[in-house]
Amino acid sequence: MKLIYRLAVRLCLVLLPIMALWVWLFYASMVDEINDEVDDALEDYSELIVIRMMAGQELPGLNDGSNNSYSITPVDERYVASRPMIDYRDAEVYIPEKKETEPARMLTTIFRDDAGQFYELRVSTPSFEKDDLLRTAAYWAVFLYLFLLLTVLGLTLLVFQRNLRPLYVLLRWLDDYHPGTGNRPVPNDTTIAEFRRLNVAAQEALDRSEALHEQQKQFIGNASHELQTPLAVLGARLEWLLDGPDVNERQAGEIIQMQRTLSHIVRLNRTLLLLTKIDNNQFPENSDVDIAALVREQAELCGEIYASRGLVCSPALPGSFTVRMNESLASVLVTNLVKNAYLHSEPGTRIDIRIEGRMLTVSNEGGEALDGERIFERFYQGSKKEGSTGLGLALVRAVANYYALEVGYRFENGRHVFSVTWP
Amino acid sequence: MKILIVEDEPSLREVMKRTLVREGYVVETAGTFAEADDKLAAYAYDCILLDIMLPDGNGLNLLERIKSEGKRENVIIISARGAMEDKVAGLDLGADDYLPKPFHMMELSARIRSVARRSQNGGQRGFTQGNVYLDPERGVVQVNGVTLELLKKEFDILSYFLQRPGHTIDKAVLAEAVWGDHVDQADDFSFVYAQIRNLRRKLEKAGATVEIRSLYNFGYKMVVLDT
Repeated sequence: MKLIYRLAVRLCLVLLPIMALWVWLFYASMVDEINDEVDDALEDYSELIVIRMMAGQELPGLNDGSNNSYSITPVDERYVASRPMIDYRDAEVYIPEKKETEPARMLTTIFRDDAGQFYELRVSTPSFEKDDLLRTAAYWAVFLYLFLLLTVLGLTLLVFQRNLRPLYVLLRWLDDYHPGTGNRPVPNDTTIAEFRRLNVAAQEALDRSEALHEQQKQFIGNASHELQTPLAVLGARLEWLLDGPDVNERQAGEIIQMQRTLSHIVRLNRTLLLLTKIDNNQFPENSDVDIAALVREQAELCGEIYASRGLVCSPALPGSFTVRMNESLASVLVTNLVKNAYLHSEPGTRIDIRIEGRMLTVSNEGGEALDGERIFERFYQGSKKEGSTGLGLALVRAVANYYALEVGYRFENGRHVFSVTWP
Repeated sequence: MKILIVEDEPSLREVMKRTLVREGYVVETAGTFAEADDKLAAYAYDCILLDIMLPDGNGLNLLERIKSEGKRENVIIISARGAMEDKVAGLDLGADDYLPKPFHMMELSARIRSVARRSQNGGQRGFTQGNVYLDPERGVVQVNGVTLELLKKEFDILSYFLQRPGHTIDKAVLAEAVWGDHVDQADDFSFVYAQIRNLRRKLEKAGATVEIRSLYNFGYKMVVLDT
């Protein structure tokens, strides 16, 4: 989830309860204020009635168009003791002029005339519809919520984008970065302290990893070079032994086995050197290479070498497929892919090689899917094969990386499918 | 034929010398740039095997000096640095061949023979064993002066054997030399055997006095038959 979306969702969620609380408080204080006003009016009205009654003056008419109403009921002392002197509440009152019941505010009070008789006076005045008010308030609150939300989100996005620009510059830079491809400095043209620190930290981490990468490359290269001479000595001595006059068959067999093991080491060493050279970009000369011809040639060669396995292979290739590459690297790429398929095929199975568009696909039968991530790693082997360097597919990937080719592995219908796509 | 080995690793120097002496060459050795320089100043050699990385100098400089002085020595560079640039630089400076370490001694003597052959003007350009003659440049094989038609792989195999007479040749090494680097993981070498069988039949039919013998199930050796 992008940071900006997360922020938006959080803002929406936080604003929601706050707005609900706000609506409730607004409504409560509104109702309170109105009741206060109405109660004052009722009090004045009740005072007027009581004064008139005590003075023996005429009481106000019941139907004077104000919708106010009152009633005076004599009550005994016991009742008086159980009631408060003055009481305000909401009530439903029947209004004869309208012939309907309406919400009203009612004041109940008790007074005593000169004769000592207690009376209960009820005064009421039509009030407002509380449901209506609540609905209106809620409606406006929702409106306000949406309005606020849009404003807040818009502002946040604007501020976010303005201020986090250096972060996105850094992220884009990291996306474009490939280890071992020189040291393009991390852009650091911001004045924000935190981002400056982040950029500096990123630069330091990259410098460190570049240095390590370089060291590792050099180490592999140097180690391989240093091994060349001792290997040459060993090989020469074995040859000397083998060509000697007094060697018997058993000894000759052993010596030849040693020579074969030695040539395995030599091959391994040579391949490591090749990988180092590819990593060091030491293959500058490019020419037009016909991949189709290379594939055809290699398939034929493998067909001859692995003839005893009875593999079936009829490559579906166009007349030619020319790409711009270093010739020996193109050969490394093609031969390792094709050889890999032949090597790991059970006898009598089918190998499928085709070039479609700008994609070379090589597939062979296999029991179960391999780890697509690790299969191109150095020395990763699904099953240990005698004489295998475990570097074939690593070479394929190294060449592919060198030319920014897309190399892929998938397991489909019981077949291992390797593909290389030229851009 | 007189050979100078310029190589700083004593063990390799010693075994190279021993092997080449057995091949019938006169061999001198030098372990440092200075020693090699002294020997080159004092004596003449037919072929110099030159390591590039010497403790006290770069072999390429030595090569430069040899060529600038107009000496006629053949130079084969033997280097642990398989780097393309070294090879190109070496050949540009007038080296006759370039052999990256580690190499087979058999390969080295084949290269020496080949370099010597190229520098001998007027002599036969090809290789001869018994009554079999092979010219690698023209792609011609003759038995007793009569041209023998061979397929490409058969020709390559015969050429390989003719350049290494009397040596025990491992099937795997032969396969790699003829079929390329990628035979390293072959299950068996029946494809080598098939070619050898055809080649033997053709040689026998033509009345060749050489024979490719199987040795201990592992390899072959070309021998010249007594006539």
